[in-house]
Amino acid sequence: MPTKRATKKLTEGTPRVPASAASLADELRSRSDQQIADLFALRPDLTSPVPNDFSSLSARASSTPSLIRALDSLNLFQLQIAEAISALDESLTRERLVTATDPLALEALEKLWARALVYFDREVIRMPRALRELIGAKPAGLGPVSLVPIDTKRIDSLLKSAPKMSAEFMKRMTWGPAKGAIGDRRKTGGAIDWLLENELMVKIDNEHVAIPREIGIHLRGGKIHRELAVNPPQITGDLVKFEENNQAAIASVSNLLRWVSELMDFWSEETPTLLRTGGLGLRDLRKAAEHLGVDENCAAFIAELCYLQGLLAIEGDGRVLPATGFDLFQSATSEQQWRDLVSIWLESTRVIGLIRIEESKGIAPLGNELDRVWAPRVRRTILELIKGQADIAPSLESLQQRLDWTLPSRKDAPLAKEFPRWVMAEAQWLGIIGRGAISSFGHAFLHAERDLGINAALPPAVDHILIQGDNTAIAPGPLTIELARKLSTFADIESRGNATVYRFTEGSIRRGLDHGHTGDEIKNFLKSTSKTPVPQPLEYLISDVARRHGQLRVGYANTYIRCEDEATITSILKDRRLENLRLRQIAPTVLISESESGDSLETIRNSGYLPSMESQSGDVISLPKQLRAQSKARLPRAISETSEPTLAVIQAAVKVLRTGDRAHSFTASRAEIPRTTANETLAILRKSIESESTITIGYADTNGGVTQRIVDPVSIAMGNVIARDHGNDEVISFKIARITGVAFIDE
Amino acid sequence: MSNGPLIVQSDKTLLLDIDHASSDECRKAIAPFAELEKSPEHIHTYRLTALGLWNARAAGHDAEGVIDTLLKYSRYSVPHSLLIDIAETMGRYGRLRLESDPVHGLVLITTDSAVLTEVARAKKVAPMLGMRIDNETFAVHPSQRGHLKQALLKLGWPAEDFAGYVDGQSHEIELRQEGWSLRDYQRLAAEGFWHGGSGVVVLPCGAGKTIVGAAAMAHAKATTLILVTNTVAARQWRDELIARTTLTEEEIGEYSGAKKEIRPVTIATYQVMTTRKKGLYAHLDLFDAHDWGLIIYDEVHLLPAPIFRFTADIQSRRRLGLTATLVREDGMEGEVFSLIGPKRFDVPWKEIESQGYIAPADCVEVRVTLTDHERLSYATAEQDERYRVCSTTMTKKNVAKALAVHHKNDRVLVIGQYIDQIDEIAADLGAPVIKGDTPIKERERLYGEFRSGAIKLLVVSKVANFSIDLPEASIAIQISGTFGSRQEEAQRLGRVLRPKSDGRGARFYSLVARDTLDQDYAQNRQRFLAEQGYAYRIIDADDVFTGKI
Repeated sequence: MPTKRATKKLTEGTPRVPASAASLADELRSRSDQQIADLFALRPDLTSPVPNDFSSLSARASSTPSLIRALDSLNLFQLQIAEAISALDESLTRERLVTATDPLALEALEKLWARALVYFDREVIRMPRALRELIGAKPAGLGPVSLVPIDTKRIDSLLKSAPKMSAEFMKRMTWGPAKGAIGDRRKTGGAIDWLLENELMVKIDNEHVAIPREIGIHLRGGKIHRELAVNPPQITGDLVKFEENNQAAIASVSNLLRWVSELMDFWSEETPTLLRTGGLGLRDLRKAAEHLGVDENCAAFIAELCYLQGLLAIEGDGRVLPATGFDLFQSATSEQQWRDLVSIWLESTRVIGLIRIEESKGIAPLGNELDRVWAPRVRRTILELIKGQADIAPSLESLQQRLDWTLPSRKDAPLAKEFPRWVMAEAQWLGIIGRGAISSFGHAFLHAERDLGINAALPPAVDHILIQGDNTAIAPGPLTIELARKLSTFADIESRGNATVYRFTEGSIRRGLDHGHTGDEIKNFLKSTSKTPVPQPLEYLISDVARRHGQLRVGYANTYIRCEDEATITSILKDRRLENLRLRQIAPTVLISESESGDSLETIRNSGYLPSMESQSGDVISLPKQLRAQSKARLPRAISETSEPTLAVIQAAVKVLRTGDRAHSFTASRAEIPRTTANETLAILRKSIESESTITIGYADTNGGVTQRIVDPVSIAMGNVIARDHGNDEVISFKIARITGVAFIDE
Repeated sequence: MSNGPLIVQSDKTLLLDIDHASSDECRKAIAPFAELEKSPEHIHTYRLTALGLWNARAAGHDAEGVIDTLLKYSRYSVPHSLLIDIAETMGRYGRLRLESDPVHGLVLITTDSAVLTEVARAKKVAPMLGMRIDNETFAVHPSQRGHLKQALLKLGWPAEDFAGYVDGQSHEIELRQEGWSLRDYQRLAAEGFWHGGSGVVVLPCGAGKTIVGAAAMAHAKATTLILVTNTVAARQWRDELIARTTLTEEEIGEYSGAKKEIRPVTIATYQVMTTRKKGLYAHLDLFDAHDWGLIIYDEVHLLPAPIFRFTADIQSRRRLGLTATLVREDGMEGEVFSLIGPKRFDVPWKEIESQGYIAPADCVEVRVTLTDHERLSYATAEQDERYRVCSTTMTKKNVAKALAVHHKNDRVLVIGQYIDQIDEIAADLGAPVIKGDTPIKERERLYGEFRSGAIKLLVVSKVANFSIDLPEASIAIQISGTFGSRQEEAQRLGRVLRPKSDGRGARFYSLVARDTLDQDYAQNRQRFLAEQGYAYRIIDADDVFTGKI
């Protein structure tokens, strides 16, 4: 038999609702297949894993984590109606709900029902207990449920005769907050006492009072909310011309695709290395930004986009290099590239705005700290909102207000204010929006249309350049990728955009020659690609550099063998015994080899020659060196004795021992910690709250060790159970997820 | 998508395709707000800079107009962020104004008190401001007018100067258009300057900058101080003013090392203005000697630093800067803009050439090869001697001689950097020399004889770079240049660009030693001219000797 708990019930209770899982299960069972399918569509988390039967579906649907998700998907009006249902008493009918709120509440009620957030027991609207708990004990700022029936006539007459101060207090608390601090009671001169005596207010504890819920609703004129957000706030902003907006968007699209390939090309030449703490360093980000000609925020965005799309890979040593995915990406059409980038951006949990330097969140691009689970949902919601406003550039303020209505759960969440701004800026870089309004490309994308119209809107690639007398070449439009690649090997880019300005310098031509082009090849390439004749000074420049290129040769060798006598050199070169040295003649009197100098010396000596070793300055070294290690000596680490424990540690250990001992005495018959499934755990917890009984739980600590506790559960909220722990006689909250099992205690 | 002539780049450069049908129309439309950076043969490059956009604001253009123009002529769609940037930059101009207040004198006024507070907090600006009169106004001491404008520009909040100019002591000056008339661009330049108040007019050498100066004086009708580079230039200004205006010899004074005359129109040299005695500038009083109504700076790109400092103190006088190029090797373009004033007029060289006002020029780079002996001494020379070694090679002397012989019927200038070299060449060619230590009288005599045709070949050092009017010179042979100075190359080409009486073209030879520093510097020097559309052709020294020129 469960024991009755000795501790008192808290004053701020939730309304008494019988355990309801069974009846929700029945109600769900009676729904049509389509309605169940709708439920799964609205609450996708219920399908993973697929529940076995209706009772486990009902248990899952009324579990706190799933309910939190479901509540997050409600708009403000639906949330208010849920609040109202939670605030009103048990036997709530549709009529009563409409009187307390608004006729449109019935529509919202349908939506709540479809999500299985409410269910009907004949005419009565019911709400799972866990949901009431989630909404909290103070729905719409109302006080606790009255323990005695309310006589409205008595209240009205009482209020008429109330002392001025008391009436003022009642008035001030009518629309919330639920709980008022009394402060210094002497100052209020008995006004509060009068209210308490007449039961217009109740005491919550020694310092706080509240208006009982029924009285509160009566004072609110039978309504729950002062303002019901029936209609969403309008999104407003400047009118935008379709054509101009689309022009701006296509400019962004072409910039974006160019930035992506330029950044990858840049990093393949100047490869950055991630910081030891993860993420790209500010210096590398600045360099990239400078190269692209954009600010750091935009550069970080491009880098992240490449990362998300798999265009770059982070090597084991932290180097960031373009991946093979980049080559595949480049072979796709512009439209396909854009579609890929936008899709991945839309779905990503990475919040790139967090990198923003001026807002100093201190988070590095390509690092591990950007993920936020809510990001894709909110991002998509924002885009859906602006999608409906094709001809206006929404003001951030009105967008924010609308978002607060559509996703009320996000209103006070972290980054609630920043995120929409970031999304808008990113959507602009992407070209989803043009001059502030959604572009036709963004619109087509969100509608999952097959043809976005990007290939047609982008300027066609040009296949020629114009070379001018000042040693510059201009590509008067986007160059084909082959031309652009080849040209940039021997020309420096001076200006970027739809067109590109290249400059030929001695350095750039030399680079081209280093790449393996010959001077004539470069000249012929320029002649065939340039619409204008190649100016003579440029031809001279190329010939000049080509003539001098490669006159000096630099190579690598481990050993050289020199001898003033050319005959000896020739005989060594021809000597078969020395073949393994792979000697190469670089001058009549000099041979080189890749073998270590010591080995070569030995081999040559063993073949009957009489070589001697030369030092760096050319002196003959007569004595072989004594070998020394090349690396720095590292001393082994000394491991010390364990340090003595402090008094506090000892005391804590004793206490833990005693508690464990006591827990053990409750369950003397059983050495093991109870193990129950999650559903069982929740059920037993609920039951024990209801029956006010003491239970024992197994509780995992952060290291995975499980301890046994004896507790009196008080309430369940947000995945936690609040309970009094017998171990230290404190009320603490336990994470339900960490409870390995529960059991009633038999004494 | 329109098929316009303009490509707007994301780095704020504008590429104008001049082979496009509406390129001319577009060039006129963007000229007020974009700065022409270079104008080679096919694509001209303009740049949108903060200064350029503010200039446009000053001239009454608004951001909307600028954006519309870009959108109208752009071949591809223009990034939105660029348009926003333009609007923001232009919006910065005019938030601060310098005005003269009847009670408080010179004041800095704003329409946006936040901006005023921001700039007043800046370390460089704070000491220049006087009392805060109200939320929107600060008193400013008149002596700080120039310095304050400089500092505000650096902060990115340029002040619009409405404080006006003193009229100066009036003096009747009219143009005397007898047998000649003001060319269109000269008239436009003078008017552009006059309406803008103060500023710089950029015209190629030989396009008649002196006449623009005279036309500006005719607008001002006030006493005028003209600052020029040297004494010879001063005398040419005087002669030109006497010929073109109602001014007489008695009204014009020369203030130079030789003479110290102060007359209603006074022409002073930079050198005398920056002469110091016991650490003090001895001739500064000249700025206050008259109540000048106009100050003209000739060859503004050479203006020495001390003159900038004096100029900051005379912001209430109208200032006109004249130059062929705003390129300054010392990077002080910003000082010219904030202290003399914004660019008021500019026209590409090639355009004036095509109108026939300056002679068409053929630029030839002659590559000479060092002898083996010279190669060795070049390779082993000290760093600071190397340029001298390669640019004074003996081969150049022979090539110069061959060229002089080839052009014996033309009037030829041989220009060089190193005195030893020009002395040697002059001795070889039997031609007179003008260099730094040649007395002024002697110089004037030689120039005179050259103009009249009595002598056909003149060897000059860099003293002849500027403001020497030698209209009949049609061949210039540069045997050595001043390292990589771009403006000098332009000036030297300018010597032969004056239109010839028989319409002949000019030719400019630049002798360059192959595979040496000389070649690197030459390339840098030529960049400015190449950007102006003067393409160099390269020939070998052997071609000169065999007459294939």
